[in-house]
Amino acid sequence: MATPSKDIAIVGWAQTPMVRRTEQTETQMLMQVITDLLKPLGLTRADIDFTCLGSCDYITGQAFSFVSNLDAIGAWPPKRDSHVEMDGAWALYEAWLRLQEGDIEIAVVTGSGRSSTGDPALIYPMEMDPFFLAPLGADPLTFAALQARAVIEAGIADERRMAEVSVRSRGRTGPKADIDALLKTDYVREPLRRHDLPPITDGAVAMLLATGDRARKLVKRPAYITGFDHRTECHNPSFRRLDDSPSTRIAAQAAGLHDGPPVEIAELQAAFSHEELLLRHVLELGPDVRVNPSGGALKSNPIMATGLSRIGHAANHVFSGGRRALAHSTSGPCLQQNLICIVEGRS
Amino acid sequence: MTRFVENTITFPYRRSLGPLLTTFMTALTEKRILGSRTGDRVLVPPMEWDPQTGADIGLDLIEVGPVGTVESWTWVPSPSAQHPLQKPFAFAFIRLDGATTPLLHAVDAGSPDRIAKGARVAPRWKAKRAGRIDDIACFVLGTEPEVDGPDGPPAADLVTMMDYLATTTYRNPVPVAADRAIAATREGRLLAQKCPQCDSTYAGGRGYCVLCAVPLGIEHEVDLPTVGTVTNFVVITPVQYPGQTETEPFVRMFVLVDGTHVIYGYQAAVDLPWDQVRVGLRVRAVFAPASADLEEVGAMGGNLGNLLGWTATGEPDVDDPDLVNRIF
Repeated sequence: MATPSKDIAIVGWAQTPMVRRTEQTETQMLMQVITDLLKPLGLTRADIDFTCLGSCDYITGQAFSFVSNLDAIGAWPPKRDSHVEMDGAWALYEAWLRLQEGDIEIAVVTGSGRSSTGDPALIYPMEMDPFFLAPLGADPLTFAALQARAVIEAGIADERRMAEVSVRSRGRTGPKADIDALLKTDYVREPLRRHDLPPITDGAVAMLLATGDRARKLVKRPAYITGFDHRTECHNPSFRRLDDSPSTRIAAQAAGLHDGPPVEIAELQAAFSHEELLLRHVLELGPDVRVNPSGGALKSNPIMATGLSRIGHAANHVFSGGRRALAHSTSGPCLQQNLICIVEGRS
Repeated sequence: MTRFVENTITFPYRRSLGPLLTTFMTALTEKRILGSRTGDRVLVPPMEWDPQTGADIGLDLIEVGPVGTVESWTWVPSPSAQHPLQKPFAFAFIRLDGATTPLLHAVDAGSPDRIAKGARVAPRWKAKRAGRIDDIACFVLGTEPEVDGPDGPPAADLVTMMDYLATTTYRNPVPVAADRAIAATREGRLLAQKCPQCDSTYAGGRGYCVLCAVPLGIEHEVDLPTVGTVTNFVVITPVQYPGQTETEPFVRMFVLVDGTHVIYGYQAAVDLPWDQVRVGLRVRAVFAPASADLEEVGAMGGNLGNLLGWTATGEPDVDDPDLVNRIF
């Protein structure tokens, strides 16, 4: 069931500076970003009824690292708390479900990660199929390259359009926007070049959800969540069509993408350039939909917060007067699991 | 400048294989590759359930390959330490003859212009096989399987378990406050920070108050007494898991520092046998000399600096039934 039984809205969000390597610990990043979230809304940590944090122990290199992240919440006296070992977008999903219980009004969710801490090529294989993929060191670049090849063979992308996605996302101009020059550079994993790959980014995002009346008291124009769904596919890409994303399509249908007025912008968690082209295709986004005006994951990719920041940027569109926006988050190799969140403003 | 520390962590997993994977992995030691038959499809790698419907597809295994066809590939110019080959190679989806799904594996093709969609490849087996997917060292171009050296025997028994070791190095910042607390231990001092809002005191260099969620800085530093009372303790008989260096029973104590609510947890006993540790025991901090190498001293990964542990003061025990409740 993707249609909320109750008005629930994003009333604000905050993000740390998105940097290649922060000198802050994950807890310190969260402490700052939660304070930055609450202050402009005139709230304190005592006003929070429920928290859900998204982070990943493998990236931190510390078992139960989310326990020290709780220090950023000010968890005493004890609060209702939860954690997902997923992008903060899934933490938001849990908070959205929790608020529908109707007994509480305010939830704070976060996504946080210090990707610079380790080498993604060595960390990610540990999360793959333990019998067939992990022992081969099957890494994220390899999976992305194999999917890119499938998407190109299906005619949904080509190397030039992928380079164009990258240049547009990163806001490149001048010599750095020279597509022909980019296409002459070496492959990192054929058919992917350096510009097709996301940066390594440290960062954290915090977001505040409130139920109807409370949301309207806090801000003039809340971003109401009118559709929210996520679906997953088989864990092993061997068994999936890599030139399609049925989980994205089903999640979008369930979230009501095609039921209301068209979305004006779409924030897609496309860490690799071909993923944006595949997702646009699957979501049937027309040429009038602005995709990733924020720059998306190609501009900054704070793992575990990248998806939540997509939802934040979609909410920004509504805060500044927009009517309807789509946000997407993903998890797992070759877009294994996909989440769609629709936010709307009301006049 | 913030200091960064590197820690290398090895994750030693031992996983049970279950009936399907036991059959598959044991067959690998015999240089045979099996697929799961379901309807008119043959799944390689084999599955216990249908990847589309989740239906149980049982144990209907048939031999496939060993020759196969490259369906898709990418070139790895700089392999990682975890990759099957330590020279440039292709990762490819290989559809083995008789299979309907592709298997991901490495192809030792030499250069990217020698591999293409449709290329025929055959396994290069390791000479010594353990019943793991990497018993196939890689695939090679052509239709002739190879063995990497003098061929070894198949497994004597069914392969029912699989070890997986992953090692990765993490690089983390050390908060400035933690470094200041470590530096203080070289002078025989225990440095803490006191929250200006709630007066809570934190040993070491946490750098923030967990109750108020506010940052704490140099201006909030206070010196703690170096004498306290054991509130609780645990005697550990070491289990020889990978990485365990202790062989004899040892004690870890929780010490309440005099005049504060600060607990030093998991503290070592110095010149204090484990069977003499008790709740209420009076102890004082023992520091290594300032000249000691920080890497060589201290427990808990060096974050206690030169604080080696605690030893008995000889004072009478504290008789307080509530002491035992304090471990935080």
